[in-house]
Amino acid sequence: MSLVRAEALAGGYRPGVDAISEVAFAAEPGEVVAVLGPNGGGKSTLFRALLGELPHRRGTVELAGRPAYVPQTERARLDFPVSALDVALMGAYARTPFYRRLDRGPGLEALERVGLRDLAGERFGELSGGQRQRVLIARALVQDAPVLLLDEPLSGVDAPSAASIENLFEALRGEGRTLLVATHDVRQARAWQKVLCLNARQVAFGAPACLSPEVLQATYGGELVVLPDGRTAVAVEHHEH
Amino acid sequence: MTEVFSAPYMQRALVEILLLAVLAGALGGWIVLRRLAFFTHSVGTAAFPGLVVAGPWGIAPQLAALGAALGFAGARERLARGDDEDAATGILLVGALALGALLASDVYESGAGVDRLLFGTLIGLSDRDLLLTAIAAVAALAAGAALRRAWLARAFDPDGVRALGVPVAWPERILLGAVAAAVIVALAAVGALLVSVVLVVPAATVRLVAPDLRTLQLGTGVLAAVEGVGALLLAYSVNVSPGPAMAVVSGAVFALVAAVRR
Repeated sequence: MSLVRAEALAGGYRPGVDAISEVAFAAEPGEVVAVLGPNGGGKSTLFRALLGELPHRRGTVELAGRPAYVPQTERARLDFPVSALDVALMGAYARTPFYRRLDRGPGLEALERVGLRDLAGERFGELSGGQRQRVLIARALVQDAPVLLLDEPLSGVDAPSAASIENLFEALRGEGRTLLVATHDVRQARAWQKVLCLNARQVAFGAPACLSPEVLQATYGGELVVLPDGRTAVAVEHHEH
Repeated sequence: MTEVFSAPYMQRALVEILLLAVLAGALGGWIVLRRLAFFTHSVGTAAFPGLVVAGPWGIAPQLAALGAALGFAGARERLARGDDEDAATGILLVGALALGALLASDVYESGAGVDRLLFGTLIGLSDRDLLLTAIAAVAALAAGAALRRAWLARAFDPDGVRALGVPVAWPERILLGAVAAAVIVALAAVGALLVSVVLVVPAATVRLVAPDLRTLQLGTGVLAAVEGVGALLLAYSVNVSPGPAMAVVSGAVFALVAAVRR
């Protein structure tokens, strides 16, 4: 049984202008799906659609419960007077009535899983980028959702955090959860179970073996350089000034 | 000290300051965390024409201010288009001030009353003013207790808050409504131009050093009370208007804390 299924999914932020189209895929329990695509290719828009937040959407989406969403750490406020534990416990807000105290147990347990139990009391904005990313993942763990949507969780994080996050992905797979991970890292994507290539429309979906030079070229267009071995592709990052 | 507060008008001023401090503690932290300082100032300024006509028309100033602020909100909604929101707000605020000044000087010939409308009259408050501030303070405390988590999640991570399963739209409307109500009830004491002195500056000051939200809220309430009472005593001793004295005191404290923190 698929935990996530999309059929003929299309939509965008303005009527008549699709940011994504022709999206059709299904992800099973225990699968990590790499969502590949250039900047502006529709990765975040796909997540918005799956969260039910895309203003104009067509097609069908089936989800096994409300998915948890892990934003890029740059999107979170760093000047906020909240601790790592405060952030992790936000994952319990929906199930805890306002007149009940939050149970700190699940938050501390989630921080333990991402290797940050000792930093539970630290101010979120004073953690490193990788640590902040792990705290946001801990927040998703507290939600205890069957499906996790992670927006470039490995971009720009330090090596220990990247290793911790990848180990956690394996553990979550073992629990039968489905992870959709937006990423630019083609090499990393090949290590996961499925890949979903987006460039405004769906270019490909399937096992990583489908990542042929042609698929990568169609996915990234001018943002990709395919090296002479025919297998290795390097995404070119654009920096706007 | 007790002699200073022997007169009923000074006792009412003291009570009003303490009630406004409760409001500042309940809402000031959210105003700075949600970056609603300009909104707060806008509601106060937009209310100015309403305050001008309230006397001649024989209606409660708070009601007239509310009407003017609602008119401002409606006009801003119609004029604002995407990135032009700040420009639309600025143009409307200039228009509100100009309209208020015109009504005061040429239509109703309010004369010196304009100063009172712009900068408040802490020592000229009625029992109704105190009652309205008390009601707003209790309502703000109740809203903050019930919606603290929704406001915090929304302020911290606007992109991810809906995925947390936390309601967004109606808590947001209640927050904006609570801030607008706080501004309206504060107008009598601090006027159209100085509402930020009570509702924004103490919170902005405490935020420089507060490690968590609870400290920010409690600290804001305490600082607003201390600054207000201090300004009232200062105004009494040197015979100046309390509203501007509060602005000077709270501005100086903010500058001092910011300088020490660096």
